[in-house]
Amino acid sequence: MNKTFAVIRREYVERVRTRAFLISTLLLPVFMLAMAVLPVLLMSGGDHGSRVAVVDASGSGLGQPVVAALDAATFDDGKAARPRYEATLFPADAASLGQVRDGLIAKAGFAKGKGQDGWDGVLVLDADTLASGKLHYYGDNVSSPDGMNRLQREVSKALAGVRLAHAGVDQALVTKAMAPADMDTAKVTDGKLTGQSGEASFALAYGMGFLLYIAIITYGSRTLVSVIEEKNSRIMEVLTSSLTPFQMLMGKVLGVGLAGLTQMGIWVGTAFVLGSQGPHLAGAFGMGADAAGKFVIPSMPPALLVVFLLYFTLGFLIYGSLYAAIGAMCNTIQEAQQYAVFVTMSILVGFMSMFGLINDPAGTLGTTMSFIPLFAPFTMPVRWSMTAVPPMQLALSLGLMVVGLLACVWLAGRIYRTGILMYGKKPTWGELWRWIRA
Amino acid sequence: MSTPSVSVESVTKRFAGHTAVSDLSLQVPSGGIYGLLGPNGAGKSTTIRLIMSILQPDEGRIALFGDGRNSRDLSARIGYLPEERGLYKKMKVLDHLVFLGEVKGIARNDARQRAQAWLERLEIAGWAQKKVEDLSKGMQQKVQFAGSLLHEPELVILDEPFSGLDPINAQAMKDIVVEIAAGGRTVLFSTHVMEQAERMCDRVAIIARGKLVVNGTVAQVKADFGGRHVALGFAHDRHQADAILADPRLVARLDDYGASAELKMADGADPGQLLAALVGAGVGLRRFEVVEPSLHAIFVAKVGADPDATPLPAVAGASA
Repeated sequence: MNKTFAVIRREYVERVRTRAFLISTLLLPVFMLAMAVLPVLLMSGGDHGSRVAVVDASGSGLGQPVVAALDAATFDDGKAARPRYEATLFPADAASLGQVRDGLIAKAGFAKGKGQDGWDGVLVLDADTLASGKLHYYGDNVSSPDGMNRLQREVSKALAGVRLAHAGVDQALVTKAMAPADMDTAKVTDGKLTGQSGEASFALAYGMGFLLYIAIITYGSRTLVSVIEEKNSRIMEVLTSSLTPFQMLMGKVLGVGLAGLTQMGIWVGTAFVLGSQGPHLAGAFGMGADAAGKFVIPSMPPALLVVFLLYFTLGFLIYGSLYAAIGAMCNTIQEAQQYAVFVTMSILVGFMSMFGLINDPAGTLGTTMSFIPLFAPFTMPVRWSMTAVPPMQLALSLGLMVVGLLACVWLAGRIYRTGILMYGKKPTWGELWRWIRA
Repeated sequence: MSTPSVSVESVTKRFAGHTAVSDLSLQVPSGGIYGLLGPNGAGKSTTIRLIMSILQPDEGRIALFGDGRNSRDLSARIGYLPEERGLYKKMKVLDHLVFLGEVKGIARNDARQRAQAWLERLEIAGWAQKKVEDLSKGMQQKVQFAGSLLHEPELVILDEPFSGLDPINAQAMKDIVVEIAAGGRTVLFSTHVMEQAERMCDRVAIIARGKLVVNGTVAQVKADFGGRHVALGFAHDRHQADAILADPRLVARLDDYGASAELKMADGADPGQLLAALVGAGVGLRRFEVVEPSLHAIFVAKVGADPDATPLPAVAGASA
């Protein structure tokens, strides 16, 4: 046990002490900050109103209410509200429609900083519009589905208003009737409100899955590289005479794993500080409270956090041990990469399964995958965040992961023990099987 | 004699294509220096790896201290310097030694003190905080040597410990090896340098092509080799001696170094005859001495003369 600890310490300390570790640890938070701040800075400048020219050839005075509806639309609510559109009415008739429209279109697409004459888009209402609801929009932003939806919604509102007014309905009543529904969702666990929205907790689980995926891809393979390097450096001839292969590999998997976890811990910690201190930081960057709101990280109940951390750590280590087993089988990194594909595949299966679970988190698929150690670290956090998981299932799933980890290291040890001095010769599958049984 | 430190019984190890060790038996008694001699490719390193349980024998068995367990279970009692030196290149020297001590089961603080003491003894204390890769090859070898002795093992197994060292460092290592043996502990080392073995070893085993050729105390090996041996040193007119030395009635075997030679007299021939012949031919002699056969002569006679025993090319993983 003490020997394993010596190996863990060596692997950990030697990794954490390198300059590369320090630099990568410091650089990522800087990038994270830049990634968080830059879009906000850019967007706060980008939230300008679109200049829309409304060509009214309806003959029924439809233009006026449409312009009014567009002018009333805002970004955000309350005090922070800013006009979303800047609409200008151009009256026309059936004869002059084409000419007016083409004249405006010629200036469309030059709105940004190009003075009064440029337009983001041209909206054309013709004689049919009121009856059929058909109208045309020409603009440089037609490929933004969100933008087009909004515009269509605003115009529909205006159309409905005009149609209802024509039918003799009171304008005030129309406004009331048109007030939209606004739904908030909240998650219930064991009959208690958790205070999180369903969307937010899935986003968290997804975020964790994604982080795990990235962590395994980038760090897991370090165990592999480390095992192969050691085989080639031949120091293992001294080590094998003092340590069992299990001690060596367990120390390696844990030491390398903990170094990776340390770095990620620092990063996640930074992210949380950024999240909780968002408004202050935003202030420091000269942004309004509105921009700061974009920093907010959903709050996490402690139980969820514990489950996440457990699965993350175990998942990370289990994949590390798989990589160690591959390292034990191979003599060169190139050779190992062929086998590493299998690991990548199973990570992907686990990761993709997260999306399959959204609809039926407690179904057979979800439950089965929770008991497969390679998939559980992806599956379980999603289930936990979306439904109530029976404690027995949680315990069994965690237990199986620990067993899986030990089994994997043991297996790797068996291969390592025999493969260790077989330099330059790639084992066949049959040989591998014999080594494991030996 | 007490239980042997190492007992190798009828061990055979085959690699794909060749037999590295063939039906080898030898006993390393407790205490003293035991030399495992042989040409390159003779199976010395394979034998040592078998003793260290890095390789498993195909046949036969190996016992350490008369104990049934393998060397890893007994690793606290054994120090090992492999032929292929390997250290973690990026680690600091002192940290590395502490680690090597820890995996042998020494507590961290204790390991640190011992490591410090060894570095001072080997006169590389100034390098304690340097990375291993910054050290010269010779210094790295000293570090690894210290690493194998840190836990004061009662059995020290050194594979070619003096190869690659300059004379001063080789001398320092030799002193340490002798000191260990003087303290009652056992040293088993392999070498192909006979002079060194002859001067240091109490017992030797010469192996060639995986087989035991000669085995026993140095005195015994020499006595068994038998015959009368003469060491010659030439002052001038060396060429005049050629015909005499080639005469099979006088000389059974010649080991020629140019300016000196060692020879075994033919059966029934007398050293006096040889001296008279040499002087008569006008050969200037610096030295003429009837001697015990050197290990080198025995080695060459037993191994080198056999045409099948010419050194095998070193094969990775199974060399020496």
